[in-house]
Amino acid sequence: MSQPYFKCSDMHAYYGESYILRGVGFKLEQNELLALLGRNGAGKTTTLRSIARAQHPNLRQGEVWLNGEAIHKLPAHKAAQRGISLVPEERKIIPGLTVEENLILAQIAPPRGWPIDRIYELFPRLQERKHQIGTTLSGGEQQMLAVARALARDVALLLLDEPYEGLAPLIVKDIERVLITLKEEGMTIVLVEQNAIGALKIADRCVILEMGEVVFDGDPKDVLDSEELRREYLAL
Amino acid sequence: MKKQSLFARDSIYMLIAAIVIFSLRWTLPLLGGYSELATRMLIFSILVLGFDILVGLTGYLSFGHAAFWGIGAYICGYILLHFTQNILVAMILGVLIVSIIAFLLGIITLRRHGIYFAILTLAFAEMFYYLALAPLQKWTGGDNGLTGIKTPQLFGLELSGLAMYIFVGIWTLIALYTARRIKNSPYGLMLRAIKSNEERLTFTGINVFRYKVMAFLISGIFAGLAGTLFAAYETYVPTESLHWTLSGEIVIMSVIGGFGTLIGPMMGAAIVLYLENVLSAITDQWNLILGVIFMSFVIFLPGGVMSLSKQLRRLFSRDQVPANRTESQGGD
Repeated sequence: MSQPYFKCSDMHAYYGESYILRGVGFKLEQNELLALLGRNGAGKTTTLRSIARAQHPNLRQGEVWLNGEAIHKLPAHKAAQRGISLVPEERKIIPGLTVEENLILAQIAPPRGWPIDRIYELFPRLQERKHQIGTTLSGGEQQMLAVARALARDVALLLLDEPYEGLAPLIVKDIERVLITLKEEGMTIVLVEQNAIGALKIADRCVILEMGEVVFDGDPKDVLDSEELRREYLAL
Repeated sequence: MKKQSLFARDSIYMLIAAIVIFSLRWTLPLLGGYSELATRMLIFSILVLGFDILVGLTGYLSFGHAAFWGIGAYICGYILLHFTQNILVAMILGVLIVSIIAFLLGIITLRRHGIYFAILTLAFAEMFYYLALAPLQKWTGGDNGLTGIKTPQLFGLELSGLAMYIFVGIWTLIALYTARRIKNSPYGLMLRAIKSNEERLTFTGINVFRYKVMAFLISGIFAGLAGTLFAAYETYVPTESLHWTLSGEIVIMSVIGGFGTLIGPMMGAAIVLYLENVLSAITDQWNLILGVIFMSFVIFLPGGVMSLSKQLRRLFSRDQVPANRTESQGGD
């Protein structure tokens, strides 16, 4: 039996003594877009940060495998060098740097990803604003820059934490278009989103978390069609 | 074309810096200072330049830079006193040993952030101070400091007075050029990014720790270099060279000048030394006045001297805005 492209299993993570993840695990095939959903405090962000090997939370137990390589033994920067790229909720655009400098910075050290010209093809708005200071961009543009910066590295698994948050519906459509393009380009994506319906519409699979545990792993269509599932786990 | 204009701008910048550096000895007496103070100012400006690479760019506030300055001074002084008067040999050995210590301290202390990092660096510096004071007094001279250092020589030329001033001036120019190159390089970009968002860089796959250690090392080398020049210039190393108050003074100089601007902390060093010199001639309570000046900068001009023009511009434009607003209201 062949190994899945990405696998995390039995993850138990803590913030201090607070027990957040209680055995979370799922698999992903290459080129798959997974919607990771759940109510506030279900453990979605903690799951992404555990996979990206962030210093906090503390992953006390569990394994993360990407392309046959054990990621759970690596520090965050090495996990990122293996291709795990987390775009956090706060976007974290580096202040004082222009759009282009933000991208150049991501390419200072290998492994480099997409050339900057190719990134501009996907985000023409960023090209128009390439000399503008990153933090002065609109929310949607900052989100695009955060994703663009991830693409500037050699990404194997893109982890997006609430990319639609605070954005106008028109901008959300733009981001959706980008995610679909990335998926068509062969990228594997985990999308955490409060806008569950939006995420389910473009996802290939869906995992729902509840109190730090996986309560659903299956077809997004099943969730979209089941009012009971939506009401019970997503409060929709 | 763009590269050429950058080169021209760099050249003009360095030319102006050279004019200021090499004229200080003659301009200072006109302002009530003494000519030898110029050499001291330049030595301290190398020290704060290195400090600015660490604190101004990465945001890691060290309270232990006195250790690098003091160790550099002691090693250089000891070699000049006991082995050779060749200043280059003494300086190279001093800087080499400081860089090894800075590298090791960086690896230990940079695992912590903020106040914990500051306290760790302070603790290490104090450890070196007390080592120099008692256990190593046979070599350091203990409380008396290292005295009787012979006047250093450069290829047979005795370095004192004007010759020492020119020698220190050349090192100051080299230090400024190097610091500027570092700040404007991709590496400098990375350091500025560390200051604003360390975790984000980690998620980009960058080994932030390695960059921080390199910045700490470079900063230590600048401090060590300044320390060796200090020992050679003063021909005496006081124990206070290792004391935490010197680390505090470096912070004061940088705040008065403006962190992260390179030239700012250099100006801050010159201002503090000048005020020390002028005020101490007027009153014994000069430290008190210096404290008030420092507080005024923190409260009214947190960006230091380098932000003065920006603040004035803002003040001026604020005066302008209500006038315009009144006009437009009138129009309505």
